[in-house]
Amino acid sequence: MKKAKPEGERAKSVSDKRPVEYSQRWTISHKELETWLDGIAAARTLLAPRDVSGVTLYRPVANSAEIAPVFTRPLLSVKGVFFPPTERMFTIHKTGLEVQLEETFPEWETVVFGVRPCDARGARLLDAIFLNTNPVDAFYARRRENTTLIGLACKELGPTCFCTSVGGSPDDASGVDIMLYETEGGYLAQAVTEKGRYLIPGGEWKETDLAHQPSAAGSQYHVPEKDEWPGRFKDDYCAYVCPTCRCFVVRDEVLAPGEFERLRCWDSCMGENYRRVAGGHKPRFKRGERQRNRFFCKFYYFPEQYGLGAASACTGCGRCIEVCPVGVDVTEVLVDMEEQV
Amino acid sequence: MSANPMLPYLGKLVETRDLAAAITLLRIELLNGGGEAFRTSQPGQFAFVSAFGLGEAPFGIANTPQRGTAVDFAVARLGSVTTGLHELGEGDMVGVRGPLGNWFPMDKFKGKSLVVLGGGIGGAPLRPVIQHVLDHRADYGRLTILWAARRPDLLVFTDEYDEWRAAPDTSLHLTVDTPDEAWKYDTGLITQLLERTAPLPENSVTITCGPPVMIYHTTNLLAKMGFPPEWNYVTLEARMHCGLGKCGRCNLGEKLVCVDGPVFNMEAVGDLLETYL
Repeated sequence: MKKAKPEGERAKSVSDKRPVEYSQRWTISHKELETWLDGIAAARTLLAPRDVSGVTLYRPVANSAEIAPVFTRPLLSVKGVFFPPTERMFTIHKTGLEVQLEETFPEWETVVFGVRPCDARGARLLDAIFLNTNPVDAFYARRRENTTLIGLACKELGPTCFCTSVGGSPDDASGVDIMLYETEGGYLAQAVTEKGRYLIPGGEWKETDLAHQPSAAGSQYHVPEKDEWPGRFKDDYCAYVCPTCRCFVVRDEVLAPGEFERLRCWDSCMGENYRRVAGGHKPRFKRGERQRNRFFCKFYYFPEQYGLGAASACTGCGRCIEVCPVGVDVTEVLVDMEEQV
Repeated sequence: MSANPMLPYLGKLVETRDLAAAITLLRIELLNGGGEAFRTSQPGQFAFVSAFGLGEAPFGIANTPQRGTAVDFAVARLGSVTTGLHELGEGDMVGVRGPLGNWFPMDKFKGKSLVVLGGGIGGAPLRPVIQHVLDHRADYGRLTILWAARRPDLLVFTDEYDEWRAAPDTSLHLTVDTPDEAWKYDTGLITQLLERTAPLPENSVTITCGPPVMIYHTTNLLAKMGFPPEWNYVTLEARMHCGLGKCGRCNLGEKLVCVDGPVFNMEAVGDLLETYL
């Protein structure tokens, strides 16, 4: 186990910039895209935005027909692919006084289609914690390694989107393996990484010299009307929909007599018991204190702790604004904070 | 060690003994490589102890490796994990993950006088500091130990007080909030005891551990008494679930108690301590 230094600075070796490794491009038709995705779905797990009881989520699809035809971004970000809501860290077998621990690691190859640039950026921000700061998280690392992201640039921005205000853009290709830009009659496809290039069918697609023209669309963010709030969540759910919130709890669950599993589960810093310590004392008991901590984490603590420099840990996806039942709007909070500083 | 830093070493409970009311000392002999890892543990570091089937919780390591091959933890029975640990007996298996966090720079303290302030079970992570000083007595100046608890039956390591008192140039001062009939030492808060004892700040280092409110008021008083912030050390505890700087829970402002701490000097955390309460 790696040792910390006595009362010193932690080693930080994080870069938020990943060079675009490839720049090969192809033009493909809608039909070609469908055929390609059908092929991927037949060979391995394909996750794509899918309608689940009126909500769009990344879910396994059997073929391209199951993919939601129109979506701004799924309600939950792509973070759950690398950092699932519940992850088994090992199992515990107890027989009498004997205890055996058995490690299990996820072994599956996944392709995710329809990843929006904000979510791809979110994954890279999580990399700063789980991959680029020691010790490397074994579970996150495996899932990340075994996953290929097919990005889809945003043609339109959703009502709560503000990625351009936090350093992102609707056509930012830097966090995905393959980027698709919608064009008249099809897509412009770009291989961004070697992993992405590997997934592109050799001679079947037509290569092009055409480059994607950066979208002129700035942030079209507007404060949604009250009746636009879905309001379907408790007051701590901003953390669950956020692409970069990563707080977790570790707990044991019983599988059978003498058989247990140690789990890591998503948690939210907005919960009242989040900081409760043995003996019952609850630091940050007031909701305002927790709210303050969350915003400070996103815009100051997280970047500071994991060496992001001036970048914030917010991707501007706007999900927290969309799901907040009491109308807390991060963009308004930031404006308020700036006025007070 | 496995590639999975969340996987604990297995350890066998070789001794359990009551330290105070509802506080037990667990003495654990580590298996499968754990003994090796803990042989270099430093005063101030911590580890997670698992009650398998219930979960794990962080505890300060309560002894120095020079005092024996087993690792000591003081466990107060408060939640489900600690209750589970209390129910275990000698021969039972637990998990231990660590050693984690930073430590008191004992080398830097050489030649200085030490004031050690422990409140309740907060005395546990200070015990290795005391042990280290007693085992290297010539390296350090005067050792003043201020030890407090709410009640006499909550004082920890009472059976070691004679050893501490007998050491050269060492004094032990005890206080409780609520005395019983047999109590013959001071009564009141540790801050009152500190004012009465009045150790001198010159060439001194202070080390404080206890409940947040005790740390807050004690360090404020130490500053008033003229102890410079860079020589006022605290060891903080916070709820944590990984100890590796990942789970996000133990932050104190932009600092993470698990990897930036648990040992801090007041120069580094003085301004943040209010958010710790």
